[in-house]
Amino acid sequence: MTTKLFGEPVRRREDARLIIGKGRYLDDIGAGALAAAFVRSPHAHARITDVDVEAALDVEGLVAIYTYEDLTGPMAEPLPVLIPHPQLHAPRTGYALANGMVNHVGEPVVMVVATDRYLAEDAAERIVVTYEELPVVVGVDAAREARAVVHEDIPDNVAARHHQETGDVEPTLAASPHTLSFTQYIERSACMPLEGKGVHARWDPDDASLRVHSSTQASTSVRAAIAAKLELSLDRVEVVAPDVGGGFGVKIVHPWPEELLVPMAAIRLGHEVKWAEDRREHFISSAHERQQRQEITVGYDDDGRITALDVHVWHDNGAYTPYGIIVPIVTATQLVGPYALPVYRVVVESVYTNTVIVTPYRGAGRPQGCYAMERTMDRVADALGLDRAEVRRRNLITPDQFPYDHHLTFQDGRPVIYDSGDYPGLLDKLVALVGWDEAAALRADAQARGKLLGVGMALYVEGTGPGPYEGGHVQVLGSGKVLVSTGLTSQGQGHETVFAQIVASELGVSMDDVEVHTGDTRRFGYAVGTFASRAAVMSGNAVALAARGVREKAIRIAAEVLEANPEDLEIDEGLVQVKGTPGASIPLRTVAVLSNPLRYAFDEAAKQATQFAGPGDDSKPPVAPGDAPGLEHRDYYSPIRSTFASGAHAAVVEIDPQTWEIDVVRYAVVHDCGNVVNPMIVEGQVHGGVAQGVGGALYERMAYDADGQLQNASFMDFLMPYASEVPDVVIDHQETPSPLNPLGIKGAGEAGVIPGTAAIASAIEDATGRRIASMPISPTELYDLMRDETAERTAASQQTSLQTGVPA
Amino acid sequence: MNLDGSAVLHGSPEQVWTVITDPAVLARTIPGCETLQRTGEDEYRMDVAVGVGAIRGTYAGEVKLTDQQRPTSYVMHATGAGAPGNVRAKVTINLEPTDEGTTLTYSADAVVGGPVAGVGQRMMTGVAKRMAGQFFAAVDKELTSGAPVEAAPAAARASSAAVSATDAAAASAPAAAAAEPQVFTRRAPAAAATTSDVQTLAVGALGGAGLTLLGVLVGWLLGRRR
Repeated sequence: MTTKLFGEPVRRREDARLIIGKGRYLDDIGAGALAAAFVRSPHAHARITDVDVEAALDVEGLVAIYTYEDLTGPMAEPLPVLIPHPQLHAPRTGYALANGMVNHVGEPVVMVVATDRYLAEDAAERIVVTYEELPVVVGVDAAREARAVVHEDIPDNVAARHHQETGDVEPTLAASPHTLSFTQYIERSACMPLEGKGVHARWDPDDASLRVHSSTQASTSVRAAIAAKLELSLDRVEVVAPDVGGGFGVKIVHPWPEELLVPMAAIRLGHEVKWAEDRREHFISSAHERQQRQEITVGYDDDGRITALDVHVWHDNGAYTPYGIIVPIVTATQLVGPYALPVYRVVVESVYTNTVIVTPYRGAGRPQGCYAMERTMDRVADALGLDRAEVRRRNLITPDQFPYDHHLTFQDGRPVIYDSGDYPGLLDKLVALVGWDEAAALRADAQARGKLLGVGMALYVEGTGPGPYEGGHVQVLGSGKVLVSTGLTSQGQGHETVFAQIVASELGVSMDDVEVHTGDTRRFGYAVGTFASRAAVMSGNAVALAARGVREKAIRIAAEVLEANPEDLEIDEGLVQVKGTPGASIPLRTVAVLSNPLRYAFDEAAKQATQFAGPGDDSKPPVAPGDAPGLEHRDYYSPIRSTFASGAHAAVVEIDPQTWEIDVVRYAVVHDCGNVVNPMIVEGQVHGGVAQGVGGALYERMAYDADGQLQNASFMDFLMPYASEVPDVVIDHQETPSPLNPLGIKGAGEAGVIPGTAAIASAIEDATGRRIASMPISPTELYDLMRDETAERTAASQQTSLQTGVPA
Repeated sequence: MNLDGSAVLHGSPEQVWTVITDPAVLARTIPGCETLQRTGEDEYRMDVAVGVGAIRGTYAGEVKLTDQQRPTSYVMHATGAGAPGNVRAKVTINLEPTDEGTTLTYSADAVVGGPVAGVGQRMMTGVAKRMAGQFFAAVDKELTSGAPVEAAPAAARASSAAVSATDAAAASAPAAAAAEPQVFTRRAPAAAATTSDVQTLAVGALGGAGLTLLGVLVGWLLGRRR
């Protein structure tokens, strides 16, 4: 067979289009649309006392100005709490336009529509909003202390108290030979897709239908939200995700105020309206993630085996909780990683602050969980004077323990049961790949060059491909073209390529004949969305099942025509043929024509399906009962629970003791996402993830001042790693197929970012001998840490009297 | 939608009533007023050109007055129709003596239909208040300058005559009611000289903020046709 493309490093077929500027992004749509701009709150916490639009009226081209008073029905109600949870006891969401109060800088207050964006901005600039400022809560510690409150009816600022435990922690800790307690922090970062959010809406008053384009990760749910909020019948609303310039999580949140307001304006004005987010808007009014305070107590024995782990996390969820407590749940449940923990208790208190909302950003709580668990492993190793790799090895779940039940409940409401994996295998490969055992030699060599060198590692397990479901539709046309559609959206992951690979392999056709469509409710109305590394697992299996359905029907029809036994038929290169009998075959495209009995012949091919084309069986109807015309099939994949991918990263850092510049000189990744559909795309995902991991560890943070003003809301001030800061990544694969889905695959989208902060913190600690308990860390912060006589030193550094190069 | 506002005018309620009920004055003080025509018992129509922001165009509106309590209050009912929308407004106008002269307060209750209703309340009221402001500023100029802003002497005489001859005017009301429809325009202020009866004076009610509101809203409707 020549069409088995599954597993091949096929080049991304969408790249040519995207690279030469032929992509169709949101802002490429609706050249004739009116433009929207927003007046956003300049204060982190305030009461709105007046909105004066007088001065804006002089702007030629001004079309409309909307405030909360213009919102009616469901639009006047708060935005939905997308994922309710019993432990989210005090959920709060904002309004599409502020209703008298603002709770973070950037919250939309007034919407302006004008003939173009420049005029809309001019008018917005002239609108005077008067505020009465209120006390501001910034940062997880301030929220915890609750001297000021974000929502006046929530005096402790706590939105949710998520709690899970697998046994009786206190007695186990009390009985443990050793215990350690410590507190550590991780800062805010954000997705920062190159393309911000954007919405275009066109209303057709004649058939009362709305077509919305949105740069979203969830077009079907955006559609449902718009229909509900604008009180339209679902069949009157279509939502399309065009080419999307990156999502990384922020675009799974919906409906964003703009996703409701732009369609509302298009309907009220009878004219298409568009809004494309600018960079500052993205910084101050989209979403962030990551900030947590982690209070950890671990019990362990003389060999470094963990006896009990007790974790109390304070999680900053920003001003509102539209996405529920998904990030806290993910941190709580993924923290355990690849380790067998006899007793585990976790409490995550999710607290309000007067800052941008916190919703999933690639990794979605996992980098924090990994940071907590892996830094714990480092501390246990340091306390016992054991090798960090060895301590990890002693705590790993072994291959014979699968399926491994952690007795926790995951973000999809299903049990955390690891389906398959080989964690010792990952660790062995990593140690070899990075040269862990030669670390001493590397350190000596670096010291000879006046540099401090350190190595660090971090392991993770990632629950991927959560349900409830995704669907796929495959149709073979008379032309031989194979149409594939699935409802979830693409943000550049290469779906057009991998789904085509899967369908071409399953159906036995050339990939060139396969055309893939995603994220368009006109083509496929049932979908959940692109998040949690689920596209390949969910839609990959769904389109595979749909292709198998088509294959079955094609072989049934061909068997009749060829008067052969279906079991003897195969499909290869678009030809249905009798195995081992050259010549006895029929093109799949002809089968597609024959599958649709015709009265009218509109072309040569169609003649074959008309009623006088050949001898028919007069005893049967043209379309048999239970059968349907056309060579197509629709199917769905709904998993019993998530499948768990895993991996191990190691970083080697060199630090210049003059500037305290931190340079990641080597980065090794061992990656296990089950069966690999396309290794080139998986490696690309790993590279991108590592880049974001390095950014999260060394550069990216949201610099809020005490007044809740984001002081680095631009690409001049918010540091992201360039190619010059991203290390060369060496990758080794391990494949432990998932027993849960037909293709045996696991998700790969987020993996690369998860262990970055933990591994790099470990390496910096190893290089400097100073305890690293707050990430990210800048050269300045490291310099201050090195000069701080009270800074905690690692036991290892005292034993080896490590030369840190700090001037006395 | 509701629109409330007030203006301080430098003249006694009697003087204010007289000026804002002088069709000739109104024809030149209502922002964008093209013509003003009496069409029957306390009924009038007018053409107004409006141009603020996205609100522009000319329109025709009709007005009827009731509950006249000279010189303290009256109620005006205004309607304007025309694709792509329509408006119906009821406006109560009160005059109150103050140290400075008179405080005129208006309260409009308008029902707006069609796409014009979609541009946002604050923008609609913002424009209406602005035009009402322009109108009252012009009226006050009439009161204080003693001579009409941009009118021929004849018109000025007509106004001052009206002020001093109100009782007589009231007496001769029936006769005037039967008269041919009178038309007042910016370009023919002389026409004002022929009128001073109370029905004609009552046309002044058209000058209220409500009418301006009507002008704004209907002008808006047509303006949106661009």
